[in-house]
Amino acid sequence: MSRLALPRWSLIAALAALTLAAAIASLLFGSVDLSIARLIAAATGDGDMVARVILFDLRLPRTLLALAVGAMLGLAGAALQGYLRNPLAEPSVLGTSNAAALGGVAAIYFGLAELHPAVLPLLATGGALASLGLLFLLAGKAESPLTLILAGIAVGTLAVAGTSLALNLSPNPFAAMEIMTWLLGSLENRSFDHVWIALPCIAIGTAMLLWDGRALDALTLGEDAAQALGTDLRRTRMRLLIGTAIGVGGAVAVAGAIGFVGLIVPHLIRPLTDRSPSAILLPSAIGGAALLTLADLGVRMVPTTNELKLGVVTAFLGVPVFLIHLMRERRIW
Amino acid sequence: MANLSSLPPLRSPAKAGARRPAHGRFAGGAGDDGAGDGPPPSRGCRVGRVNGTLPLVLALLLGGAGALWAASPAMPTKRPAVPQRIVSINLCADQLVLALADRGQIAGLTKNATDTEMSGEAAKAQGIPLLSNSAEQILAIEPDLIIGMPASRSAALRALPSQSYPLIDLATANTLDEIHMSIRQTAAAVGHPDRGTRLIAQMEEELAGLPKPGNGRVAAYYQRRGYMTGTGTLIDDLMTRIGLVNLAGELGKPPLSQLSLEEMVAARPDFLIVESATDTVTDQGSEMLHHPALQDIPRISVPQAWTVCGSPAYTQAARSMAAQIAHIDGNRT
Repeated sequence: MSRLALPRWSLIAALAALTLAAAIASLLFGSVDLSIARLIAAATGDGDMVARVILFDLRLPRTLLALAVGAMLGLAGAALQGYLRNPLAEPSVLGTSNAAALGGVAAIYFGLAELHPAVLPLLATGGALASLGLLFLLAGKAESPLTLILAGIAVGTLAVAGTSLALNLSPNPFAAMEIMTWLLGSLENRSFDHVWIALPCIAIGTAMLLWDGRALDALTLGEDAAQALGTDLRRTRMRLLIGTAIGVGGAVAVAGAIGFVGLIVPHLIRPLTDRSPSAILLPSAIGGAALLTLADLGVRMVPTTNELKLGVVTAFLGVPVFLIHLMRERRIW
Repeated sequence: MANLSSLPPLRSPAKAGARRPAHGRFAGGAGDDGAGDGPPPSRGCRVGRVNGTLPLVLALLLGGAGALWAASPAMPTKRPAVPQRIVSINLCADQLVLALADRGQIAGLTKNATDTEMSGEAAKAQGIPLLSNSAEQILAIEPDLIIGMPASRSAALRALPSQSYPLIDLATANTLDEIHMSIRQTAAAVGHPDRGTRLIAQMEEELAGLPKPGNGRVAAYYQRRGYMTGTGTLIDDLMTRIGLVNLAGELGKPPLSQLSLEEMVAARPDFLIVESATDTVTDQGSEMLHHPALQDIPRISVPQAWTVCGSPAYTQAARSMAAQIAHIDGNRT
């Protein structure tokens, strides 16, 4: 595997180029065909109204959100896998995304989000934090990686049930459709209002998670060795918990619980690096941005009567990765 | 015989008698339904005290009706002239029944009948039992008229032991003429054809002087999640009446289609017609109608209660839409 390892900077440059290409494609294509000339005219400020509105009010916020949310989910997956030393750890498998969705649903459907724009991300973050706390309580000290995944499934299932219940209890006759959007995720019809909700949270989350690269490397030697090397485990854990909760909370508050991005991306990136947890953090963030932007482009391009949900596309990509790991585990059994 | 309601002593035995067939599975002819041996003794006694011809009238009436119910449930002509326990199993039928029948005649409405957002006659429905469309509840009421749209396709009615209630199947009204037809049909069924004639005349009068401020401009009826109402619908009929052209017709869309925000921005209609319930953001579905990309298109807001059914509220809807267009035009100049 190590022969695949690229120098760090060239990997990052390649991923950044891919992400840029995905972002440009995301601005170029949509349900209305606009010529490139027309879009360029709109971008430089002298285009027609329609092209300008479509480019700046519709496609640009959507693209920015796809990049930011994807980066957050990819990074959270890489950090959680590193910290928990579990290849299946990631926000959606551990129930974090669904718990954040539960917080978001509570904020919107019971009218709390109207009180202040910060309520929505706060409650989503609160949901994510509660689920992570519960998870670490249930399986933090467990030896087997399976215990953690099982605890995650329990937490996630609880959050999904809570989301459905909250929507059923709210006076909303369109609950079924809304549940689907929250649980599968979508970037349809997002505006800059959403960008301003999500970006600060994601910036804070990203910063906190990138901080811990060296601690994660030390942890590969085990908790005792890491402590001997001078890692403050308690602080590392707090940063990881809070960073994931804030970042994933902000992302889910505007996009719903998009699954599997955090699972797939680190697995795709890892063979291209020296496999140390710190080496995959930043590439996973960039790769996540590229993956989600491409998935969102796919959602728009596939001709369905109702727009496909993002979670459907990412699940189709993510489940094979999950299965491959399952098969490997079985060989060990 | 024609006017049961003018004979108060008869009403309760009539109920007692009519209740029997359900217990006895319609065994009854005229003799069985005679007042003398009814199960609730007190009622039997009361009839006994009335003069001798009444039980005979009653027996004929109930027996005849009972036999007919058993034989051909959907024959509207042979029902008792003025039904006394009308059940509506459709929101649109609720509104017509409330507008045309006496309050005392109504035994049950649908669970949405008192929802002011969905029914223009909601205020009148207060205090009338609301049914959850369950066969049990209908069975317990033993209606002497069930009105639906259409009633014969109701799952609840199919679940009843025998399809033994007189039914009125109203057709979905998508034009003013069809609304008039439903009004006439319902008015006759509930025993007040004169009220129907009066209501229609009143509607005609209210619409007579209505201007057509639309002047051939294009409007789109845009609903939550981007659904657009097409031609051949009540909304389309309303648009035509006030001089607007339906965007869905221009684009060749079916009666209900989904149009993305991008497509709507590109189509540039002169007006957006929205449900007044979506004037505030309550969930993701209504949030999209407030996307900044749509803010330059003037809006006409109409309560769903007026447009979800072909009902007498048609005139209110038409007048309100015309007035709003005039208001928007007034602000422009």
